[in-house]
Amino acid sequence: MLKNFFNPESIAVIGASRTPGKVGYDILKNIVQHGYQGSVYPINPIAQEIIGLKSYPSILDVADKIGLAVIVVPPKMVLEIIEQCGKKGIDSAIIITAGFKESGLEGARLESELIKKAKSSGVRFIGPNCLGLIDTHSMVNASFAAGMPKKGSIGFFSQSGALCLAVLDKALPEDIGFSKFISMGNKADISDTDIMLALAEDDNTKVVLGYIEGVNNGKEFMQVASQISKKKPVIILKSGITSSGAKAASSHTGSLAGREAAFNSAFKQSGVIQAHTISELFNYALAFANQPLPKGPNIAIITNSGGPGILAADASDKSGLQLVTLQKETIDKLRGFLPSAASFYNPIDILGDSGAERYEKALSTVLQDENIQGVIVLLTPTAVIDVNATAKAIGNIASSVDKPLLASFMGKKSTEEGSKILLSHNIPNYSYPEEAVSSLNAMYKYHLWINRHEKTYPKIEGLKDRVYHIFEEVKKENRQRLTESEIHEVLKAYGFTQPRSLFARTSEEAVAASKGIGYPVAMKIVSPQIVHKSDIGGVRINLNSKKDIENAFFEITTHVRNIMPTAHIHGVMIQEMITTGKEVITGITKDIQFGHMIMFGLGGIYVEVLKDVSFRIVPLSQEDAHEMIRETKTFPLLRGVRGESEADIEAIEKSLLRLSQMAIDFPQIIEADINPLLVKKRGEGVVAIDARFSIGGE
Amino acid sequence: MISLYVGSTAGYSGKTLVSMGLAYKLKEDGLRIGYIKPVGILPVKVNDILTDNDAWRIYRALELKDPISEICPVVLTQELMVKGLLKDIKGLMGKIEKAYQMLSADKDILIVGGYGSIYTGNILGIQGVKVINRLKSKVVIVVKYEGEYVVDYILQAKKDLGNNFIGVILNKVAYEYKQSVNDYIVPFLNRKGVDIIGIIPHDSVVGSITVEELNEMLGGKILCCHARLDNLVENFLIGAMQVDKAIEYFKKTRNNAVIAGGDRSDIQLSAIESGSVCLILTGDLYPNEIILSRAEEKNIPILVVRDDTYTVAKKLERLSVRLRLRDKAKIDRGMKLITENVNFPLLYKKLGIKIDQ
Repeated sequence: MLKNFFNPESIAVIGASRTPGKVGYDILKNIVQHGYQGSVYPINPIAQEIIGLKSYPSILDVADKIGLAVIVVPPKMVLEIIEQCGKKGIDSAIIITAGFKESGLEGARLESELIKKAKSSGVRFIGPNCLGLIDTHSMVNASFAAGMPKKGSIGFFSQSGALCLAVLDKALPEDIGFSKFISMGNKADISDTDIMLALAEDDNTKVVLGYIEGVNNGKEFMQVASQISKKKPVIILKSGITSSGAKAASSHTGSLAGREAAFNSAFKQSGVIQAHTISELFNYALAFANQPLPKGPNIAIITNSGGPGILAADASDKSGLQLVTLQKETIDKLRGFLPSAASFYNPIDILGDSGAERYEKALSTVLQDENIQGVIVLLTPTAVIDVNATAKAIGNIASSVDKPLLASFMGKKSTEEGSKILLSHNIPNYSYPEEAVSSLNAMYKYHLWINRHEKTYPKIEGLKDRVYHIFEEVKKENRQRLTESEIHEVLKAYGFTQPRSLFARTSEEAVAASKGIGYPVAMKIVSPQIVHKSDIGGVRINLNSKKDIENAFFEITTHVRNIMPTAHIHGVMIQEMITTGKEVITGITKDIQFGHMIMFGLGGIYVEVLKDVSFRIVPLSQEDAHEMIRETKTFPLLRGVRGESEADIEAIEKSLLRLSQMAIDFPQIIEADINPLLVKKRGEGVVAIDARFSIGGE
Repeated sequence: MISLYVGSTAGYSGKTLVSMGLAYKLKEDGLRIGYIKPVGILPVKVNDILTDNDAWRIYRALELKDPISEICPVVLTQELMVKGLLKDIKGLMGKIEKAYQMLSADKDILIVGGYGSIYTGNILGIQGVKVINRLKSKVVIVVKYEGEYVVDYILQAKKDLGNNFIGVILNKVAYEYKQSVNDYIVPFLNRKGVDIIGIIPHDSVVGSITVEELNEMLGGKILCCHARLDNLVENFLIGAMQVDKAIEYFKKTRNNAVIAGGDRSDIQLSAIESGSVCLILTGDLYPNEIILSRAEEKNIPILVVRDDTYTVAKKLERLSVRLRLRDKAKIDRGMKLITENVNFPLLYKKLGIKIDQ
């Protein structure tokens, strides 16, 4: 896939220049000087030759076949060049030229013409407004980056060219290897998903690494990502996640930035490892590219000093990793050669007077322990230790075991060389212990992801027809919001239990209804203009007698009419009081890029303040429903605290799945929430007490 | 006993304020006055007795001693309205008459406060005109002046009320209408035989709303300065522009409340610093702690509401025409407006009241 981009037989640089410092010169020079073996054709209207290569006025003047066109001409000429590429039979182009969508209205117009032209000419292209690409294995450096990274197994694509440069510049002195390096630019044709698929198929790439500001098609992104993440780790740094970041991102490359919750869920659900900073992106990539995955959460930390050991232990505690006690025989073995002052429990402190030999012995002993599934070696550069020798010793052991081994040789001056030695033995070294822990944790999470069971999608059937008719009716009346009774019907059609409720126009009817339902009851105002009933005093609960009902009817209707004289009061709803249970909120929202999402949180009136909610993108699997409930900070409350009985968590899961099914069945749902959904004791189910629905569009 | 009905051709014209002001002056001039509101639309329970809130306010303002149960014989609750719509209700006129008789027993003058317009009340079979005829009241029509078209309503009312009609009070006359009212409308009405009992200018204090009322109407949450909920808001401003422009605009406007997104800290601070009387934050977004502490220092209440800025503005637009007389400062100011701008000699002459000076 995309073969001509990464391994072309020949390359033409259209807009090649004789002037050093110009992009058209640098690209040509990069292609030539980094050992590309195929033919290279500079295209320039006037030059005879450039850096010793024969130059042609046009690609049409080149007699031989051209595999890849690299375009560096001014924006207005790009369309014509693309057309020529088509004529010449070139199917792949990199458009370096800037001045398209990112530069304003005119540029946006030009870009949309470019897309059309490329399609009609049969040319696929990367860019425009990009830095180019590098493939270290086929020795193609069709970019204007300074330098060529080492051969390696990390495939990196980035929406930001500048970030590519920065990453490359950091990688060069640290000997970090890459397989491919792609600057995506405006992504007018070839998208993130195209490149991800190409990297997935590439045998030289072990880890797919990306920086994105937005995606073009959320659903497609998820589908591709989950397909790839089963084979290779996909690590992505998504910027523009906060609202300020989104502002900057949308003015940056003109792509629409999605909401934080949507991206977080999309990554989670498709097995993408999300990096939150550039350094995390790097740290994770190094770990995944060089070390095997841990088979479990149990790790050991070996250190020559207390403080860093504690820091690493703290970090592990906050992550999914666990510092377990070593097997007795391991401890006995350690006792055999470690000073008695050493700490034999995890973290294992082999003391400040350790040298390479003690590290080597301790590490090989710990690695043999069957309880241990990964090791982090910490080293403080003391005066007594030979850092480089220790690095070599550790390196020699590491290759013999199938357990991940990460190092944190702290400091810089005296550990720089050691760090390179470690990396040459495929052991990533981190400046600080926390980084090593978070990288190992990312690997453990990925291990869980690839070993998880196939997701299950339980079949849920709602009475689709009934809901369809209701929605049609709402649409016909040009409304967005559903009325109380419509909501009742919709929820019923999808199997939600609701409190028994009866509509009443007068207090006499309300009393009769209450007797029918049985005291105590709740009373709610029914008015099409009032959505948040309790905000304006439209709800009374725990009504126990005729007198209560009469008073409540008077108070609610009078109060509402006073403060919202324009609201039409239709009457009141008398509802069965469900007194025991915990309030949660569930709902459907719609993201512009990823479509419907299901929301869950501990509910009641504080939900908007606490914002302890979790999201998943539809369709929800049984596992998604299970996880998203447990993800909230308040989850232990559902389990029951201080002797409370456990809430019916399974019933919540089922409710989430029902909502997911509803969202699949009805794309026109803009927003829905059930608040509160009252959760009763385990086995007793849930009751939808109040809900809101808005539909529109599609 | 004189019976004076204060009616109007449309709801929310200012009948309550006019009634209160007239009664106040009549009382000051030594007459034994009483007040009855045959039909109330602001139900309230006072010591478990159902009555009307406006009537109850006037009752207290005039320090009346009559039984509360009689000052508003028919209270239009949701209940009564629904019942009236579903089935004809009989006997309400009788109830009104009975209360009227009782209250008028020891009075020189009884002010009868209309509800809605003189044409409303058919749902319950007690239309204003019908009540007027039954009680044989003299009628002053209060009209909110909104343009020439109101003269048609005035002339129609005069025709429908016949001899009971004694004149009109033009209310809430905005500054920009003042000249055309004096130069054209008054002469025209005089020529058609309509007496002008008073011309009340528009007043921003009377037209203001307290922060507390505002919060109730918007269904908001009050975040700070609970002691300042009686701040009167006279103007609303939308804070959506750049800060430097915003400050200029906030400073120019008296007693303003600024409506702004909860995430617009810049605008919120400018509003606080430029002396707004209230901040209405939209989108259910809570402000920074810094904003709260600054507002607390400067005593500016902050409300957080669920709606977006435009919806809030739209609601306020609709609600501003339906303000109620609740606040003491507003009542005092309103009474003063009435006593200063009503032609009492003319009114007394029409009613046949003679005051010994």
